[in-house]
Amino acid sequence: MRQTAFAVLALLLFPAVPLCAQTQITSTIDPTKAASVLRIAIPSPEMTGVTFTDVDAPLFKPLTRDISESGIFAIAPLPPNVTITPEVLQRINAQLLLKLAVKKEGEDFVLEARLSDATGAPQFGKKYRGSAAALTRIAHMVAADLVRSLNGKPGPFLSQIAFASDRDGHWEIWLMDWDGGNQRAITHHGALSILPSWSPDNERMVYTSFAGGTSEMYVISRRGGARTRISTGLALNTSATFSPVSNDIAFVGSVAGNPDIYVIKDDGSNRRRLTTASSIESTPEWSPNGRQISFTSGRSGSPQIYVMDAEGTNVRRISFDGDWNDDATWSPDGEQIAYTSRVNGRFQIRVANLITGESRILAGEGSNEQPTWSPDGKWLAFQSNRSGKWQIYRMRIDGTGIEQLTSSGENKDPDWSKKSE
Amino acid sequence: MKKTSKAFAWTLVVVVLGLFAMACPKKPPIKTQPPVVESTPPPVVAPPPVETKVENKDFVQEPPQVKQETLPSDIEELNRVAQNRGYIKDAFFGYDESTLSADAQAALTASANWLKGDGKAYNLLIEGHCDERGTEQYNLALGDRRANTAKEYLVTLGVDASRIRTVSYGEERPFDPGHDESAWSKNRRDHLVIVGK
Repeated sequence: MRQTAFAVLALLLFPAVPLCAQTQITSTIDPTKAASVLRIAIPSPEMTGVTFTDVDAPLFKPLTRDISESGIFAIAPLPPNVTITPEVLQRINAQLLLKLAVKKEGEDFVLEARLSDATGAPQFGKKYRGSAAALTRIAHMVAADLVRSLNGKPGPFLSQIAFASDRDGHWEIWLMDWDGGNQRAITHHGALSILPSWSPDNERMVYTSFAGGTSEMYVISRRGGARTRISTGLALNTSATFSPVSNDIAFVGSVAGNPDIYVIKDDGSNRRRLTTASSIESTPEWSPNGRQISFTSGRSGSPQIYVMDAEGTNVRRISFDGDWNDDATWSPDGEQIAYTSRVNGRFQIRVANLITGESRILAGEGSNEQPTWSPDGKWLAFQSNRSGKWQIYRMRIDGTGIEQLTSSGENKDPDWSKKSE
Repeated sequence: MKKTSKAFAWTLVVVVLGLFAMACPKKPPIKTQPPVVESTPPPVVAPPPVETKVENKDFVQEPPQVKQETLPSDIEELNRVAQNRGYIKDAFFGYDESTLSADAQAALTASANWLKGDGKAYNLLIEGHCDERGTEQYNLALGDRRANTAKEYLVTLGVDASRIRTVSYGEERPFDPGHDESAWSKNRRDHLVIVGK
């Protein structure tokens, strides 16, 4: 009764609900429940001129997987062949209902998605149109829109993970969707190409390739095509990473065997040296606001994580546990750093809170390295050799929900796109 | 007397016959010896060394020529031969180390001698390699330091710095794909590669 009253009030306040209703859900759903997971019912889709096999694997499976992994929704199982009524929804304890209808118009598929609460009050509605090849992208778009309609943020469903793979005989730079789908090669150097890193606008990647006989930095569009070599005048040119706020690239350069952290503009101009110690420095990574850079240094006698201001000043050590730490990467809110930490002779992912100084290990089998945060800060992708080969995995930041994303050849160096879409 | 002498003569005959009879079975083994003698001709073929000695005396300049012919023109084959014969030697490192051990210094000294002598027409690429126990990104930097440590040492031994290039492969290209110390110790190295003139 109370819920219905709220819904009626919501309808009066927002008469034109069908396509945007982001705030209404808070008026119909108990706020304490909204903070945890919402139970959502998803009946079999209505199909016109489309067979279930046309759309099951490319559309419904990834969509329901996204929804169930969103951390916001839990799918409430529906009894088969039942007409959906408010009573049915109440019986299965569903707070939301997602109705899907898909039809074919020429070569295009048209998907209509409508979200309503248990009383039938509309929360969200949108039409999506695309070719058969676009169906999986549509699935991720629907999931992103659903999550955004509830908490204002799109979730990780449209983000991309760049990585290196040797499946075609050489290490090349590849891309995949957040769930491991749609894996495709971006480079075709036929050489050793590794360590991709996204630009903040998700349009480009910088990486290291030995295509010219020695290691050099290249920039390439996410769509592939021509690559640009960034001439640094230094050796190594590894661990390159775009600044989140400018067109600077931080990287490891070396003169006469002394690797240090350098910054250079993406057109190859204005090279600056940030570290000057005689020890080995490696693996720079910008803080999300671009004001600080974390890096690895052997200055204490073993590789440890340090943070400095983006000008190279104010250096302080932040890792004290583990005899080999590397691969530091900042959470999107800048409060945590995940890194590779050797514990009892095995590499594990460690997450350190920069405010409290505390850290925790996300333990797993095998060696686990190179963590990278999802743009919503709720997931970490990393590489592990637990299967006997290097593969890329994904887990929640509490270490649960581990899923293997790659399986062809060996795969490593994951870097999650900085933007959600 | 006659009887005794006759008897003596008979006994002699018997003894001699007996000796013959005993000796007879021993003959076949003696006969089998010739095949053994026949199987010895190979030693007889041995003389050729003498012939080559004669050649060496006749052509004093020949040894260096022979040596040059064994250096293949194909650069990969040349590297194989040079490594096999120890003209150039890879330098090995301790775990997370980039300093040169006595063995590594000896290997580089041998390499420097060849580079300054018979190999003076060639340039050198030093590849720095690491074992898999470190992390990929730090190991790329460590491999760079290892390669440059060897380069500096070769330069102090008189090899022109302009002839030496370095590259780090970190842990990307292990020599031994195994996952034990036997493999790791092989993978922590500066690999010396002869490159074009």
